[in-house]
Amino acid sequence: MKISLFKSPELQFSATTFFAKQHKGETCGSNGLPLTPNSIIIFGKAQMLKTLKHPYLCEYLDIIRGKHERTIVVSQFCGKPASEFIGKNQLSISEVKKIAFQLFTALNELHKKRIVHRNLSCENILIQSNGDIKLFNYGSYYMTNNGQLVTFPIMKLAYSAPEVYLSPSKADIASSKVDVWSVGIILIEFIFNKQLWSNLKLGQQIRKILSFYQCGTSIFEKIAREHNCFDIYHNLPQDIKEIVEQCLQINPKNRPSCEEFLQNEMFVEYKNVKCKNPSRVCKPYQIFTLKELYQWWQLTGGDVFLELKKQGLIRSSPPVLSLPCLIMLDGTILGQGRNPATLYDFRIVHMGLDTLYQRFGHIHLNSCYPLLHFKSDIIDMFDPAPYDIKNLPLVIKEKDPEYQFHRIILFRRLLHGYPFTKDMIRKEAKKDIPPLLRGEIWAALLDIKADYKKAYAVIDKETVTTTDRQIEVDIPRCHQYNELLSSTEGHIKLRRILKAWVQKNTQYVYWQGLDSLTAPFLYLNFNDEAKAYHCLSAFVPKYVHKFFLRDNSAVIREYLAKFSQLIAFHDPELANHLHNINFYPELFAIPWFLTVFSHVFPLYKILHVWDNLLLGDSSFPLHVGLSVLTQLRTKLLTAGFNDCILLFSDLPEVDIEKSINYSIDTFKKTPKSITAREHQNEEFTIQSEHDISGVTLDDLNKERSPRISARDTTDLLRTAPESILVIDIRNPVQFSRCCVRGSINIPFSSVSFGESNIENIGQHAQMLKNSQERIVIIVGSTDTDLELFPKFLLNCGISKVCVLHGGFNILTSVTPTVLVSQKFET
Amino acid sequence: MTEDNIHSVASYINSNYDKLIEREIPIPYNQSIEELAHILLTKYELPKYIEKELIQDLTQFIEAKEKEFYDTYVEEEVSRAKNDPDYLEDLTKQWEKLFKEETAEYAEKKCASDEELFASAYHKLVHSPALETILSVEHLYAKAVRRRTDQKDAFIQDLSEKQTEEMNKAVDRLEYGMTESEINELVAKHYEDHSLLKVRYASELDTLKEAQRREYRDWVMKMLEYNQENSFPPSPSSPLLTPTSPLLSGPDESTFHENVQNREKEPILEESFTIHLGSQLKQMYNVRILTGNVEDLCIIPVNESSELTPQLLQTALALYSNDLSGLVLMTDNKIGSRVTKDFQENCLKSTEFHFSHIDAQLEKISNIARDHFGESASNGSRSPGSDLLQCGDFYLTKHSNLAQVHVIFHLVSDDTLRGSDINSRHPVILGLRNVLKTACSNDITSLTIPLLLQYDITEEMTTMWCERRAELVFKCMKGFMIEMASWGGSDLKNLQFMLPIGISSQVFHSLADMLPRIFKISNPKILK
Repeated sequence: MKISLFKSPELQFSATTFFAKQHKGETCGSNGLPLTPNSIIIFGKAQMLKTLKHPYLCEYLDIIRGKHERTIVVSQFCGKPASEFIGKNQLSISEVKKIAFQLFTALNELHKKRIVHRNLSCENILIQSNGDIKLFNYGSYYMTNNGQLVTFPIMKLAYSAPEVYLSPSKADIASSKVDVWSVGIILIEFIFNKQLWSNLKLGQQIRKILSFYQCGTSIFEKIAREHNCFDIYHNLPQDIKEIVEQCLQINPKNRPSCEEFLQNEMFVEYKNVKCKNPSRVCKPYQIFTLKELYQWWQLTGGDVFLELKKQGLIRSSPPVLSLPCLIMLDGTILGQGRNPATLYDFRIVHMGLDTLYQRFGHIHLNSCYPLLHFKSDIIDMFDPAPYDIKNLPLVIKEKDPEYQFHRIILFRRLLHGYPFTKDMIRKEAKKDIPPLLRGEIWAALLDIKADYKKAYAVIDKETVTTTDRQIEVDIPRCHQYNELLSSTEGHIKLRRILKAWVQKNTQYVYWQGLDSLTAPFLYLNFNDEAKAYHCLSAFVPKYVHKFFLRDNSAVIREYLAKFSQLIAFHDPELANHLHNINFYPELFAIPWFLTVFSHVFPLYKILHVWDNLLLGDSSFPLHVGLSVLTQLRTKLLTAGFNDCILLFSDLPEVDIEKSINYSIDTFKKTPKSITAREHQNEEFTIQSEHDISGVTLDDLNKERSPRISARDTTDLLRTAPESILVIDIRNPVQFSRCCVRGSINIPFSSVSFGESNIENIGQHAQMLKNSQERIVIIVGSTDTDLELFPKFLLNCGISKVCVLHGGFNILTSVTPTVLVSQKFET
Repeated sequence: MTEDNIHSVASYINSNYDKLIEREIPIPYNQSIEELAHILLTKYELPKYIEKELIQDLTQFIEAKEKEFYDTYVEEEVSRAKNDPDYLEDLTKQWEKLFKEETAEYAEKKCASDEELFASAYHKLVHSPALETILSVEHLYAKAVRRRTDQKDAFIQDLSEKQTEEMNKAVDRLEYGMTESEINELVAKHYEDHSLLKVRYASELDTLKEAQRREYRDWVMKMLEYNQENSFPPSPSSPLLTPTSPLLSGPDESTFHENVQNREKEPILEESFTIHLGSQLKQMYNVRILTGNVEDLCIIPVNESSELTPQLLQTALALYSNDLSGLVLMTDNKIGSRVTKDFQENCLKSTEFHFSHIDAQLEKISNIARDHFGESASNGSRSPGSDLLQCGDFYLTKHSNLAQVHVIFHLVSDDTLRGSDINSRHPVILGLRNVLKTACSNDITSLTIPLLLQYDITEEMTTMWCERRAELVFKCMKGFMIEMASWGGSDLKNLQFMLPIGISSQVFHSLADMLPRIFKISNPKILK
């Protein structure tokens, strides 16, 4: 029933493909690194085209890189090429005028963005059912860096301006005037209803166009005579004739620009017909866009590559038939003919959407309009049952078209309402984040303000600074397996963001690793540098506060000490082993936490880790670190110091979903104060006398078990007393005078710490051994040793041991009290 | 973006605000004008409210300069075009060439070549139930060639024996009136007879192979037709099932000379690893280290009772696929050198149904090399007109009648490889990198490399020597493989390192142990 929503004629797309130029031999860039493959440069440049949205332009959807420098471009394709109309239906003059107007408008839009079409012809002007046009394939010249990255010429024989033919060498400048000439030729074809020079051979056509240089009179007139259309020419209204004449000025200097043409009085009538936009406050809302449809199509099994193969555009001749004969030491290849399958073939292959229609056929219309704020039982009754695959693994959810459909519909609405829907976004993000909207959702989770673009534009990203050299060295080493980040455009953007950050954060310095930290944001917001920058700027104070100080050793060491304590808290056996072989987190975990794992994992894994990190606080990375160790646990327990160093020098593959689930689990089970640090950002924490403060780094390094705050202790005592075990190690007299409700007394002096045997503590040993899931809180006072006892428990393998910060006395000030007196109990 | 882009620089000067603003601006200007304005605002400490004005002024300035730049750029070309018709003609030719060479629209329409047609027919058939039939027919053909070869060898041996006898008699009679010149004549005659016989048989063999090839190819095409008409595979009784020509059986029913070459079967040592490379994104590869020789990968055992070996199936299936298998064969600087004579003879043991025979391929390569060196005579290190290669060069031959490989990389090496002090800049190592690159861009996804870059075990090759050499090759290959991931071709899937057969198991194990230390072994997935 709602399939018609998907079947709009505008929601169609097709693909074209070509090969990028191969680099010859062994060439290196100026930085001594291998040259970026041309297909990757194209891939990076073409991303910008995806942002173009205009009623007269087809939308670019995707760029795909195949093997051996193949590039596939997926773009909207709707309506019929104008070439199919020529020779069939004679258009009226007013129709031609309208097309002229729309052509100039569309081209002007491109020229303003510094894109020259250069390939304009009747074949890539698509006529819609209402007579409007849409330009197709207008980005080839732009994405190939003015044609320099491909071997074939980007132009259309009969339509290209004569000056295009003057420089066959590839290094050509992009002049927008060449498109104006093409418009002239196209208009003539419409007026004469005839394809120009259609029966001329290749060489003759080129000669014909170059001969215009010898033509003294009007070129339009000359063409008219040659095509026996002088009558039509003669009777043409002056205004349109004038336009064509101006387009076909042999000297580009005399050719007006598109903008100048649009000033022409002739076009006034079309200008006032603007697309209606009912609201001036916010952008019109679409429940979904072509980009999303394209993604759903891919998820339902749509494969551009396969489709191209099926329709013969990707022909594969067996590689064994085209092997080279001889390869010299210097890389010269001899005896390999040009594979005809790699020639440029301009054909367009349309993508069939039938599987999508079938798969989405049953989706109820209501699903497109989810109710966010109000929901009642009555409405619920009419709604279809929710599509429920909540409990399946994340990877499956991300690949399920219908699930993604519902998520994207919902999130698009929520994002449209941002910042008022901030809490709802956070709530939904806890379930999962649809990959297509991840960039925007992250920005929302990081509280990016609406005027972010302006704020970024005013930052100076050009002036040379001392850190430039280091940045320059790091960028070509940052996640280069990724096509976006290894592209030239990606390098430029990453450099600009880093420079902007350094410029804006003078209290900090550029530490290696900041590049990795930026990478995920740039990857997600490749076409919105400003957003990537602001995400980074919001991320740093929240998660890696003070990590980028010139002297960050105190901050890092505190963080690592906390990491050691967290390991001891959850996994005493592992902690003891690492302690015994002197394998400290300093040796492996600094890049983990400095870059929040963005230097350790590949991007697709980082995205999933950070999906959860952004919902947590700055202690979350500690838990992720713990979960990674847990996955390597069996290996670590049997390994010596050297093996451990080797193991971490090239970290083995980690099952990321398992790791995330484990970290969320420990994150929830660990009281906040266990991971509290002196150097965490005060902005995100509230401090009171019952929280931990004033612990020096030396203390921290001495203590192998973490401290717990009075606040957490009392909270636990009140809400979940069964989940804790309070051990009072003061002497029995003090204990009997006043103690924590439900606590047990193991006087410090009664235990002999000689050997690690839990039985030494006497009658409560059994209880401790079975404490497993319970948090063991040790309460002492100034005259008891708060180091030896927890260390002893740790050595005995008791988990979740922590020490009350401030000792027993801190609890006396807590109201309502959690203390009892033995005297009254008995 | 790239340096060779045409551009110029314009000096922007603005004195509207107390201070003189100066700035060099590259034309065309591809960055944000707004950002430029803010840089100027900060630099000259200008008030913020002039931002809009400044942006507008800059925009106008840049637009004007760009227009001027384009206009002067084209002006020159246009005036030349107007006055010089020859220039236009020249341009026309250039464009014509470009269009014909680069676009499918204007390129000469070539129908699929015979090679391609046959390739697709064969590929289709081997991926149908006809696979077994095809392979067994091939095997029968090979047997026929084998018989003929044996026969030839026998005849030649006969002749040699006879001649030796005759000669012995003649020499005996030397004292009894036989002159030396007569003996010389006899020698000459013997030699002539011998070569005549050889040539005769060789040409007979060639004829047989040529006939086989023709018949085979016809038969494959017929099979395909048959398969297309009938959706089911041919029944065993079908006349098409096997060609019944005499080419299959050979001249007579002579049995094979059972020159059983049962090599002293040394136990083959081998060990396999799954490794991953890459610091963040990990890529998996299969790596194997084994003892063996080139023959093991090339020779298809053919004798009266021999059966099809299962590896052939794989080789046939992959022949026209995008997963070719290659072997690096060390050779010297002469194309088709005697160093690889054994290999070349192996190739001739059966008919090559798909490609030219090895001699023809080598001949072609030799011609290409000669042409190339002739052209680049200025290249001092190579003598013009010769086809001698340099260390680190390599040439490729392709084969359909070898057991496990399709492509041979004949890598040129020299005596320096015997030494122990080669490093990663040695031409052979650089040649290996080119091998990998070629493999990558031609869909060769399995590769076998002699780990020590040597086939014989000599006295210099101590355990130390082997370890150093192996370490070098391992490390270099690792580097190349990491590099390869960014080349955008097909990834290597299987890499085999081959050691000479006679190597001691102690050395083998020490090298095999080295492998996981250099390459990172994947974590085994453990089911819980």
